[in-house]
Amino acid sequence: MPEIVNDKTVFTLLEVTKSIQKTLAERYKSAYWVKAEMNKLNYYSHSGHCYPELVEKANGKVIAQIKSVLWKDDYINVNNNFLKVLKEPLKNGIKILFLAKISFDPTYGLSLRILDIDPSYTLGDLEKEKQETIKKLKSEGIFNRNKLLQIPLLPKRIAIISVETSKGYADFLKVLETNSWNYKFFHFLFPSLLQGDRATVSIKNQLKRIKKVRGHFDVVAIIRGGGGDIGLSCYNNYELAREIALFPIPVITGIGHVTNETVVEMISFSNAITPTKIAEYLLQKFHNFSVPVQKAEEKIRDKSRRLLSDEKTKFGSEIKLFRSVTENILIGNRNQIKENINSLVQQTTFRFKNEKEYLRTGREEIKRGTLKLCAAEKQEVDGFALTMKKDVISQIIQSKTALNNMEKNIQNMSPQSVLKRGYSITMSNGKAIKSTENLKEGDALETIVSEGRIFSLVKSSKKTIE
Amino acid sequence: MSDIPTYTEAFDELQRIVSEIEQGEISVDELSEKVKRAAFLIKICKQKLTSTEEDVDRILRELDTTTNENDAQQNGS
Repeated sequence: MPEIVNDKTVFTLLEVTKSIQKTLAERYKSAYWVKAEMNKLNYYSHSGHCYPELVEKANGKVIAQIKSVLWKDDYINVNNNFLKVLKEPLKNGIKILFLAKISFDPTYGLSLRILDIDPSYTLGDLEKEKQETIKKLKSEGIFNRNKLLQIPLLPKRIAIISVETSKGYADFLKVLETNSWNYKFFHFLFPSLLQGDRATVSIKNQLKRIKKVRGHFDVVAIIRGGGGDIGLSCYNNYELAREIALFPIPVITGIGHVTNETVVEMISFSNAITPTKIAEYLLQKFHNFSVPVQKAEEKIRDKSRRLLSDEKTKFGSEIKLFRSVTENILIGNRNQIKENINSLVQQTTFRFKNEKEYLRTGREEIKRGTLKLCAAEKQEVDGFALTMKKDVISQIIQSKTALNNMEKNIQNMSPQSVLKRGYSITMSNGKAIKSTENLKEGDALETIVSEGRIFSLVKSSKKTIE
Repeated sequence: MSDIPTYTEAFDELQRIVSEIEQGEISVDELSEKVKRAAFLIKICKQKLTSTEEDVDRILRELDTTTNENDAQQNGS
């Protein structure tokens, strides 16, 4: 009860606070559903209680704020609900719809005692964030950017974002390094948190580091494993998703089985889901390269062998063909020659026979002709001889007659005859005188007459006048 | 053609040779040359599958320098 001191009613602090407590308890009898942003959860692992900081913001400014308390048992219930519905634990920076009682404690003051939190409200809020991230990436035209990159034929240099001690990382390396085909990969770990609020920044930082040395890597693998299906809403974060979408080399995710695919998984080059699957994906790429190479080797070996044997066969049959063709031709030619010989023999025989016959006939004809000709000639010669004989005889007779005549004439013409007929020859100086010229009186003349000579002298001469 | 093709080039060229030989476009005259080339390409491809050439020290050095630069930038701002 208050005491009176110097006319003043004085209350103790406890009385005041108890009065407030009583008033508030009377005024706020039931529990109320309140929506607010839970800035910080303030979980104390020692006691198991939480003392969440609740705020309401408008345009980024805090316009209401109050302390709250979530007792250990309530926390466990609520957190289990969250894990079941959201696959997320209660965490900082989410919007919550909670059932609370207004409580005032003389020692701790005013606070809201949270009895329950509705996970579906937060789920909606997280889903909204996710959808907004998707929408933003799409409107920026970068949603498919990482998917459109070209992954090298052999993605052998892997930048791994993971936790060194995690099961996922170990699984990944085991599959990668104990492959039975002896494929060799190069990998380098960029350690990072992979779930919860701080994962966003942590992964972003490692991506930044990888970017600096990206020339050494073909692919980035984000590997989470063993952490269960919780604390993955960080992969819906716009900043992180944007970083991955715009990352210059392909990013492959293996963050485990999630009920709803996160944005990062959607926009990554490939979502292998589990670390093992990433390793298998990479091995598959090596297979895709190796198998054709292997096949190429076999094909080239087989085909070139076949090509050679085909050629050999072809060549062999060509030779056979050539041989048989040439043999045929030779046989044909030989037969032709034989035929020609036969025909030549026949023809020559025939021809000889003909010619012989012809010659024989010719000879007969010549013989006959000659005989005939000889007979004719003989006859003619005989005729000639006869005629000649006759002619000769007649000629001889003629000539004899002519000779006789001539002899007679000659006898008639001889000086003796002439002289007998009374003619004489007068000579002077041994020469017959034919004219009166050169005759002078007294010249001696000798005159020959038939029975002797008369010697005289020239008395005179006179020329005959015609 | 460069002396040592990258494995991608080697792979592509190998596929070309295989398709040529499959289509029967390679004559016996070229065969020896092509097979020799293919063997060379196969060797390159196989080597790539089973070897790595990255140098961890170099990556670490490069990471260090870039990290320092980042720090310097952050400190300076």
